[in-house]
Amino acid sequence: MSTANIAQQGEQGIARSRRSPLRAFEESRLFPLALLLPILLFFVALNVIPTIWMIGMSFYSYSLMSPAPPSFIAIDNYVKIYNDADLWSAFSRTFVFVVLAVGIETVLGVLLGFLFWGSANMPGRRVALTLLFVPMVVTPVASGLFWRLIYEPTFGVANYFVQLLTGSKIDFLTNVNWAFGAVLFVDIWMWTPFMILMTLAALGSVPKAELEAAEVDRLSIWQRLWHVIWPHGKFILMLGVLLRTIDAYKTTDLVFLMTNGGPGNITELIGLKLYRYAFASLNIGFSSALAVILLLIAISFTSIYLWVLNLRRYREGA
Amino acid sequence: MQSTRARTTVYYLILWLVAILFFLPVFWILMASFKTPNDILAVPPKFIFQPTLSNILDMLSRPNTVPYFINSLYLSITSVSLAIVVSFLAAYALSRYKFRATNFLMFLILSTRMVPAAAFVVPIFQMFNAFQWRNQFGVLMLYTMFSIPFSLWILKGFIDGVSTRYDETGFVNGASRLHVMFRVVLPQVRPGLIAAFIFNLIFVWNEFLLNFILGGPGTQMIPYALAVGLVSAGGNIDWAFVASLSTGYVLLPTIMIFLFQKYLLVGMTFGTVRGEV
Repeated sequence: MSTANIAQQGEQGIARSRRSPLRAFEESRLFPLALLLPILLFFVALNVIPTIWMIGMSFYSYSLMSPAPPSFIAIDNYVKIYNDADLWSAFSRTFVFVVLAVGIETVLGVLLGFLFWGSANMPGRRVALTLLFVPMVVTPVASGLFWRLIYEPTFGVANYFVQLLTGSKIDFLTNVNWAFGAVLFVDIWMWTPFMILMTLAALGSVPKAELEAAEVDRLSIWQRLWHVIWPHGKFILMLGVLLRTIDAYKTTDLVFLMTNGGPGNITELIGLKLYRYAFASLNIGFSSALAVILLLIAISFTSIYLWVLNLRRYREGA
Repeated sequence: MQSTRARTTVYYLILWLVAILFFLPVFWILMASFKTPNDILAVPPKFIFQPTLSNILDMLSRPNTVPYFINSLYLSITSVSLAIVVSFLAAYALSRYKFRATNFLMFLILSTRMVPAAAFVVPIFQMFNAFQWRNQFGVLMLYTMFSIPFSLWILKGFIDGVSTRYDETGFVNGASRLHVMFRVVLPQVRPGLIAAFIFNLIFVWNEFLLNFILGGPGTQMIPYALAVGLVSAGGNIDWAFVASLSTGYVLLPTIMIFLFQKYLLVGMTFGTVRGEV
């Protein structure tokens, strides 16, 4: 045993001999639990109890529109969801939205991220990056609204340019062929900067020494990408894609404000659909069952996210 | 030499162009807030116009604008501060005492932020009705819960990065556990505290759905005002009002990401990816 250790034990002995009640509490086994208590209270009161309540409600027939008391119907709500063609189409619409939005954002973000890679000495870099990253911190309600102004059929600026190019105007948000694309475009505008940010982070995680070695060895661009950059950068890029996937799947505010699901139900994503069931038709039992399903989807996304995160820690030892 | 300099200049110009392209839609609204209502509705759109402050003055003089701004500020600052205090205590405990359930708990808490707001708002709505919590207190607690997952993740990451030797040195010198927590560890995780504060502030500041459904007069924030109070007398959207209000509202997040740019990465990834851009 080293002298430092002995000294430490001695000191602790002294500390222990003149301990106050507070000290005694700090050293007791209860202390760490006391530190966790506030967060557990929040978690239990605002997450665990509502979730259990929600799971319970999903087995009942219960609507605020009807005077009938809640009645137990086992899994009938889930059967109804399974048979609801409307819901299936909302799910598939959301799936298409997520795949297109995340796919395009990733491709654009990676390309622009590489473009911004060498910008360390750019004059006014901080201002330029602020301008670039503003779309992702703008209140979704505000961006939904001002894109409506931009898309406006008579005086919107987008239509001014469309008319210059094609000679006619398009009412983007009420046209069956354009509404989905118009909403998708706004999502891409908002979140491509995020993928640029993640690409820059991924590139930053490649050790300088390996890049310099590749330079010395005169590797081609493709060889550098595949053998040097990809093995290090892939984790952060994957985390970015997963975070975007989770976020895109949650999209509600934006469509609520821009199109409210219309025209017809062209832009009715699953988040908005759930909101409709719960607060327009006040069908608590049915919407609880739907919420349980969305919760399970969210939990599986989170597991994949953490799996990638742990994989990275394990591989990189970070 | 001359040609490489010319090339870097062109390169930087391209980067600036990309940044400005992404900013352009926001800039268009910024301009609209300085246009007269007639100029906003002009066909073809006016790119050069006589600026006016009347929209902004009109927005500020409407009875609800200032109270809603105060609500936004009050709710976001209070809930995020509370969340950070609570999360710091828990993050320290989870980092320094090895509980068996640590990873599972971290996972559960993170997953609460991955759920669409509409999914858990149904039971919360009923619960808040039953307890009569649809007031400032209830919304404040909800936003605190909303800010906890991210604060916990980021702070635990940062505290894990502080070597336990600092704690031990403290104990050797007779310091108490609380002293070590607040005087030794806390100062070293300052970047984490700042990132957690700024980004939760932006998230709560921008939140709409929960506020819309659960809020009452004491809790409604500007996004609510934007969504609800946008129709003017004629049944048409009052674009001058919308433009000036959203410009005013977007100012805070914009200033924040300018001032705290080096925390942006940590902030946008729930603290799971570190580094600067």
